[in-house]
Amino acid sequence: MTILSTKNLTKSYGKKTALSQINLEISRGRIIGLLGPNGSGKSTFIKIAAGLLVPTAGEIIIDGQPPGVDTKAKVSYLSERTYLNDWMRVSEIIAFFEDFYTDFNRIKAENMLKDLNINPDDRLKTMSKGTKEKVQLILVMSRQAELYLLDEPIGGVDPAARDYILNTIITNYKEEASVIISTHLIADVEQILDDIIFINQGELALSSSVDEIRETHNKSVDGLFREVFKC
Amino acid sequence: MLAKLIKHETRATSRIFIPLYGALLILTVFTKLVMAIGAPDFFSEAVSNNKVAEIILGISFTLYFVLVVAICVMTLVMIIQRFYKNLFTDEGYLMFSLPVKTWELVCSKLVVGLIWSAVCTIMIFLTFFIFSLGNFSMMELTQAIRSAYSMFYLQTGMELNFFIFEMIIFLLVETVASILMIYAAIAIGQLFNQHRIVAAFGAYIVITIALQIIMSIFMTVFAIGNLENSVLNGSDAITTINWLLNSSTVLNVVMGVGFYYTTLTIMKKRLNLE
Repeated sequence: MTILSTKNLTKSYGKKTALSQINLEISRGRIIGLLGPNGSGKSTFIKIAAGLLVPTAGEIIIDGQPPGVDTKAKVSYLSERTYLNDWMRVSEIIAFFEDFYTDFNRIKAENMLKDLNINPDDRLKTMSKGTKEKVQLILVMSRQAELYLLDEPIGGVDPAARDYILNTIITNYKEEASVIISTHLIADVEQILDDIIFINQGELALSSSVDEIRETHNKSVDGLFREVFKC
Repeated sequence: MLAKLIKHETRATSRIFIPLYGALLILTVFTKLVMAIGAPDFFSEAVSNNKVAEIILGISFTLYFVLVVAICVMTLVMIIQRFYKNLFTDEGYLMFSLPVKTWELVCSKLVVGLIWSAVCTIMIFLTFFIFSLGNFSMMELTQAIRSAYSMFYLQTGMELNFFIFEMIIFLLVETVASILMIYAAIAIGQLFNQHRIVAAFGAYIVITIALQIIMSIFMTVFAIGNLENSVLNGSDAITTINWLLNSSTVLNVVMGVGFYYTTLTIMKKRLNLE
């Protein structure tokens, strides 16, 4: 079963091509690493899937539909930006998510907040950037979505929280759901990935399962990445 | 989903406006009390004996004036800022990933902007009313209103209620169109890769100039001749004013629709959050 597929997906900003002719099939029940150097088009891909950008050419289908209101209801998207209103309390933003996403699980969110010692009555204004990112990830992972799109989920948090977060990701999604994680911190996420997608300068460089890489290349994903993207 | 968006938009904006309006009401009541007790003749020419009350009133009327201006400015700033900041900066990443239609996002901002504009007008009238309490009798007021109605009918041959109704429709449409014009300018600013705020201001100025040109052509072609002919004649004058009012309403509807679809198309097809 496919959750996301693209056909010749292309996005250009004026003359600059950010994504070029991407053909992909992503199955359900997988954790996929979307890997590539900075500026390779990872965020553009995720933004298109999240419905925040319209492709220039080609198509993208999520669970049978192009991105829109219906797909947004089943896609849980973590942006690279901190998008939370500064003046809100954590409890207020939880109420906001609960209101708009029918698949939001409040109890899950509250438990995760407790685990990471975040007080729901704190205002976001008073929090550090790392704490805000944790709150955002908790909100995104507290949904029972079909597809999670995580853009740089561990970039700004400390290594201890990183482990908790990765653990949260693997334990929180439904069996038939998929998780796409975009990152360049490959070594940190490698152990949880099922599949990898390498993109470079907007083009698909490699799409494979992690097991395959270990068998055919006899290398870790991190090792292969360093080889493919050698400067 | 539109109702939910409106609910959250109201929540996000009322945390600023409720304290402001609370302060306005307290200040108005306080001023009125000081006036009633200490200086009942404050507005008349007579020199009051109560210097303290006069000084307090001077200060509180200044404060009142500052507060009213602040509230009006705040209303405009809120209309701009909620649309720009909530949809086109980092917060836009959240708003555009909600399972809502783009038009619902635009309309929720528009409706709440309109509500606050209406609240602003109503609250200012309310403070006038509080200030003038005790200075007029209800009976005189009703009489004055009644005579205004019959005078209007006598001079123009038209019901005042109908004219007021047309006026309200015009003001409503005009407010909606001017808010949508701000939205369209902000959306056009988003088409640029850099200096988007500057581009939005530029777009607003260009639209204003274009509208001025269109309006003056419109006026020269249709209205001026009629105005000159009928300006001296009572019943003809009202026909002309009426005609001008209604054609402005229609023009504002056309412009409003244009701005709305410009905004929506850019947001749907060309959205590119920074």
